[in-house]
Amino acid sequence: MNFAFNEEQKSLGETLGQALGDFPELTSPDPADGRSREVWGALSELGLFSLLVPELDGGVGLSLVDVALAIEALGSGLAPPIVASTLIATDILAVYGTEEQRTRWLPAIAEGEMKFAIAVLEAGQGYDPDEVQTAIAGGAVTGSKILVGDADQADAFLVLARGDGRPCLVVVAHDAPGVALRPHADLDPSSGFFELVLDGAAVTGDALIAPGAPAAAIERLIDVAATVYAGMQIGIAARMLDTTVEYVKTRVQFGQPIGAFQAIKHRCADMAVAIEAGRSAAYYAFWAVAEDAFDRSRAASMAKAYCGESARDVCNQAIQLHGGMGFTWELTLHRFLRRAKVLEHGFGNHVWHYERVMATSLATQMPSIAPQAALVD
Amino acid sequence: MDFNYTIEEVQFRQDLRDWLVDALPQGWGDTVFEPEDEDERAMFRLAWEQKLHAGGWAGINWPIEYGGRGATLIERAIFAEEMARAKAPEGLNIIGHNLAGTTILRHGTEEQKKRFLPKIISSDEVWCQGFSEPNAGSDLASVRTRAVRQGDKFIVNGQKIWTSYAQYSQWCFALVRTDPDAPKHKGLSFLLIDMASPGISIRPLRQISGESEFNETFFDDVEVPVENIVGDINDGWRIAMTTLAYERGPEDALGRQIRFKQELDMLIATAAATTQGGGKLIDDPVVRQKLARSIAQVEIMRLNAVRTFSKYLNGEDRGPDASIIKLYWSHAAQDMYEMALDILGPIAPLAAPDPASASGGRFQLSYLQSKAFTIYSGSSEIQRNIIAERMLGLPR
Repeated sequence: MNFAFNEEQKSLGETLGQALGDFPELTSPDPADGRSREVWGALSELGLFSLLVPELDGGVGLSLVDVALAIEALGSGLAPPIVASTLIATDILAVYGTEEQRTRWLPAIAEGEMKFAIAVLEAGQGYDPDEVQTAIAGGAVTGSKILVGDADQADAFLVLARGDGRPCLVVVAHDAPGVALRPHADLDPSSGFFELVLDGAAVTGDALIAPGAPAAAIERLIDVAATVYAGMQIGIAARMLDTTVEYVKTRVQFGQPIGAFQAIKHRCADMAVAIEAGRSAAYYAFWAVAEDAFDRSRAASMAKAYCGESARDVCNQAIQLHGGMGFTWELTLHRFLRRAKVLEHGFGNHVWHYERVMATSLATQMPSIAPQAALVD
Repeated sequence: MDFNYTIEEVQFRQDLRDWLVDALPQGWGDTVFEPEDEDERAMFRLAWEQKLHAGGWAGINWPIEYGGRGATLIERAIFAEEMARAKAPEGLNIIGHNLAGTTILRHGTEEQKKRFLPKIISSDEVWCQGFSEPNAGSDLASVRTRAVRQGDKFIVNGQKIWTSYAQYSQWCFALVRTDPDAPKHKGLSFLLIDMASPGISIRPLRQISGESEFNETFFDDVEVPVENIVGDINDGWRIAMTTLAYERGPEDALGRQIRFKQELDMLIATAAATTQGGGKLIDDPVVRQKLARSIAQVEIMRLNAVRTFSKYLNGEDRGPDASIIKLYWSHAAQDMYEMALDILGPIAPLAAPDPASASGGRFQLSYLQSKAFTIYSGSSEIQRNIIAERMLGLPR
């Protein structure tokens, strides 16, 4: 057993952080400027979108653990949401796609030529996928999905809908007839949120993901997305702590750097503890989803719930410790707060995930260890 | 990153499980529990520790030459998990194993290692810790207990406080002042003191739980042979920092996590069995939110410890990360016991042995005990200073 990242995994995280750093508009004061379209090309050139694509389908065949630190960097760099949503969709297509589906989408994803947005939430429903109302009937899907990030840039949508009376995932092409977008007004304009209006949008039968076991595919989507979001939340939190520590070292009041005051120090220490604890939860979740471990859902929900709360606490503290500067438009802390807030409510907030932790804990007499079968050579 | 276990690790776990089946009393954890009386409980824990040793399950990751098992930190973590699973009793010689032994192993002479380590591992010798004094708490470096060298002895005079298990201990490691004229961190030494020495007296201190686990310990012209110094004279602060790193570190946290997980499981079972106002507590969404938060936090305690083990295994030094571990588990556990009383509602105040109390009134005692978590082993305020100054680089 080893709970550490190897050099390649660390290096990938650093590379991605630097690549995003080349686009200062991502973290500029105006959230609307943060919707850089050039970022996709740069990340694609680095090969990011080929990493999770299996080798058979033209990719590198890495696991979610391999990209965990890269995903943390997507969070801290405020990468456009289409990057994460494409990575999440890649995992679902790789695990649950038929050979035909994989051939159709995965090589294009690996080449950076296909962007996926994910459409799960609906107005009037909670986070629970069983509540979905959007329906598939007669080769057409009808309904309205809210808060679809970077929907305008997506080539296709991974849509949660109801087919044959049960929830399932279906891929809808952006250019299919009956697909329309309405831009949202929302807390984080850099996320490019749209309402996806599907009015009899054409879907073919082979666009359904795992028609034999749709619930399993949805469960995995939630687990993978929750884990990826937890990773990005920790990335945001860690960056906020770094920014705050630098500020309190240099900001002088009462004749000394305010970081010398225990009232300030202790808050910074608490932020560091929340981040490290969040990393423990998130990194374990990356492993659990990558390995399809027995406690995959519980680990993912723990990570999403805990990291969501931690990220928001750390952002709040960061603003407080920056004093008057903290709530200015120019200093850009609000950019991270905004992103943390929308991530917190994507794919289940902490209340929903804590309930899932409870339900999964009660449903199985959880062994405190991995099962005996988990042998490696 | 890999949470799978090697064949050797799986075998280690299986051997331990098999051994535990026979080692624990019939009905343990269901109908058979630890003795209620404090002294009886202490002796029960000591006997359990000695039984572990007899079975080869003490000093898991310590060198074989000193009586340990020579296993890895990962096997140490597996050991903790299996103890939790079996609801095994705690030990009595925790300070010996976690603090005295680790410090002697790191800084002791070969003679000291041979003399002390085997008896710590076997728990034939129980240890207590002589660090805090009435006027040296968070400001530990201001200890005033004096040790004056006379020939081949130190003569020790002074008072220590909060010395847990002194009443059961054969040995004490103490931080004493050997040079009163040097700057306060530079005049300290680290001594190993035989508790049977003439001139030592102890007085129990009662805690808010009503128990008297800890004591005041008085030293009145106590003679300590010079060979019982660890490290050089006046180099005691450096040695003590090692002790503190272990006291706050992942081994300690993992041992405690065992108990917290057991009590949380017990609390969940209690919530599932308790009816209030016609409904089960476990079906109340507010109760479920609170329980789930503690489930996550208790699991994160374990993950924090295992992640830090991996850092050490991969060659990183022990440092201020121990303060992160301690600050996290102490507050998370305190929150858990606060939550336990929250969810019990009207019966929350009922404690052992009231027949109407929940789960035998165990949570009320644990709740009171938990108040100490954020104070001992360095208060939360000290841990925050360490994290802020030594990890984050904020000015002193």
